[in-house]
Amino acid sequence: MSKIFAGLLVLVLGATPSLASLGQSVQSVHQDRQRMAGEMRSATFESYSVHEISAAGGTVVREYVSPAGNVFGVVWEGPAMPDLSQLLGAYFPHFRDSVAAHPHRRGPVYVQSGSLVIESGGHMRAFRGRAYLTNLIPSNLNKDVVR
Amino acid sequence: MRAYKYLVRNLGTFGCVFALLAGAFLLPSCSGIGSAASGGGGNGGGGGGGTGNSVPIAVNAGPANNSLNQPLVSVTICVPGSSNCQTITNVLVDTGSTGLRVLATQVTIPLLTANASTGNPLGECVMFADGSFLWGSVSTADISMAGEKASSVPIQIVRTTGSVGFPAVPATCSTNGTDNGTVSALGANGILGLGLFTQDCGAACVTSPPANVYYDAGAACVPSMCSLVSVPLLNQVQNPVALFTKDNNGVLLSMSAVPAAGATSVTGSLIFGIGTQSNNSLGSAKVYTTDSFGFYTATFNNISYPQSFVDSGSNGFFFLDPTSSSVPACTTAIAFYCPASSTAIPVTTTGNNGTSQVVTFNIANAETLFSASPTFAAFGNVGGPFPGSFDFGMPFFYGRPVFTAIAGASTPGGAGPYFAY
Repeated sequence: MSKIFAGLLVLVLGATPSLASLGQSVQSVHQDRQRMAGEMRSATFESYSVHEISAAGGTVVREYVSPAGNVFGVVWEGPAMPDLSQLLGAYFPHFRDSVAAHPHRRGPVYVQSGSLVIESGGHMRAFRGRAYLTNLIPSNLNKDVVR
Repeated sequence: MRAYKYLVRNLGTFGCVFALLAGAFLLPSCSGIGSAASGGGGNGGGGGGGTGNSVPIAVNAGPANNSLNQPLVSVTICVPGSSNCQTITNVLVDTGSTGLRVLATQVTIPLLTANASTGNPLGECVMFADGSFLWGSVSTADISMAGEKASSVPIQIVRTTGSVGFPAVPATCSTNGTDNGTVSALGANGILGLGLFTQDCGAACVTSPPANVYYDAGAACVPSMCSLVSVPLLNQVQNPVALFTKDNNGVLLSMSAVPAAGATSVTGSLIFGIGTQSNNSLGSAKVYTTDSFGFYTATFNNISYPQSFVDSGSNGFFFLDPTSSSVPACTTAIAFYCPASSTAIPVTTTGNNGTSQVVTFNIANAETLFSASPTFAAFGNVGGPFPGSFDFGMPFFYGRPVFTAIAGASTPGGAGPYFAY
C-alpha cells in the first residue's frame, strides 16, 4: 500500500480532514480518526481523495471520498479486525444480518445488496476487507479503485 | 438485560476477588462449578490417539449436531507439571488460526489464569472475519496429543457473555458481531489453531499501543472501558505444535475423499511434524511458501488473487463472485454457489518461492446437496462467493494430504511458512 502513497501530488501528514462512515458525508465529524486514535495521511487525486488512518497495533483503514464529498468506499487491513460498526455506519446491519442469515457458512463474508458490497476476509493476524457503494463511486472510476 | 449482565459480573467479581488478588484464579471455583477431578492419568486419553505422532480426525455433525465440514479431534490438557488432566473432545482443527481455545464450560481441571504485565488477569478477545468473537482468559496448560506433549502452553479459556468470575466482554470486542463462545455457536468444544504461526498475534501485540487483542482483565475492566495490554511473544497464546519436543515444525492433515453426494461423516488423521517420521514425509507434495501474512497467490482466468490461503477452519471453497466465476449463487442458501451441474474450477496456485501448479476442484449445487442429505456433515464440493481471494477451506483437504509448516521452522522442504500439497 505504500506504493499508492509514494508518488502523491498532495500528502498531508497529521492533517485531520473530516471523515465519516461509509455513505456519509465527508463534512461530518472526525470520529474515525479520533476513535482509532491513529495517524492520518490524505491524498487527493483527480476524481477522488483517500484518507489513510494508521491505528494502534498496525491496523490500517483507507476511506475513499468522491468530489461530491461522499465516502464511497472503505478498506481495512491489519492484525486485528477494525470496528466495522463504525466504519460501515448505517450499513453495518447488512453485514451483521448477512452473517446471521447464513449460519452454515464458516469463512469470509460477502454481502451484495443493491448498491452495497461488503467483503470481509483474511485470517488471524492478517485480516483484509473492503466495502463500497456502487452508486456513489464517481462515474469515471470503478470498484477496483477501492483497494 | 443490560442491568442483569452488570449484576452477574459484579457478583462474580466479588466472589473471586480474593482469588484474583492472590493470583490463584481457579476456573471451577470461580465459576461455581464443582471441581470434579476428572481424568487422573496424564497419558490416559492421549488426546484420543495413544502414542506416536498421529491422532484421528472426524468430520461429523459435531457436539451440537450442526457442523458442516468441521474437522474435530480430542485434546488432553493438564494442570502444568501434574497428572491432573482431562480430555476435551470435539475440538475444531483450524489451520487458519493459532492456539488452543477451550470453552470454559468444558474445563473441569483447575488451570491458573495468566497475569498481564500489570499483575491483573490477562484477558483476550479474538475476532474473526465474520464479526464473531471469542472472549476469555489466558491460562497455562500442558497439552498432550498422541505421544506429543507441550508444557506450560498459554491457551485461551473462552468465557461466554456474562460468564461469572471474569469481566464481561468489552464493547471493543463485541462490536462486530456475535459471541461464538458456546458449543452451538462454535459447533465444537474449542478450537485447536495449528496454522502457519507460533503465536496468535505476534509483533502487533508486543508493541505499545498494541493491536486490539489482549486486555487487562482486572476489576477495572468493564464493557464500556477495558484496557488493552502489550504481551511478549512467549506469553501470547501459542501454537502447541511449535512447543512439542519433537515433530514440531508443522502438521499434515490426511483426510479420506468424500463422494460427490457428500457423506454423513469422514475420517482422517492429524499428523504432527513434516518429514520427521515415516508417516509425514512430503513425498510428491509441492511446497508453496507464503508471505509474512500467510498469503500466497491463486490465479483464475488470468487474474491473480495474492491474498489467498488454505484454511481447515473455513468450511467451503470461498472465491470470486458469480460474475467472475460464471457460477450462479444459490437462491435461498445465497452464501453458497448453486450451479446447474457440477463445475470444475481450475486454479493456479503459486507460492512466494515460485512453485506453481494448477489445482482443480469441483463446485456442485449446495442447495441440492443440503436438501437431499440434511444429515450429512461432509461435502467436498461446496463453496460460496468471496471476491477478494481464494480461501481453500476444508473441502480442499478431502482426498488431498495438506501440510502446514510453521513460520521459521526447518523442514525437508525448506523453512516455513508454507502450505504443501
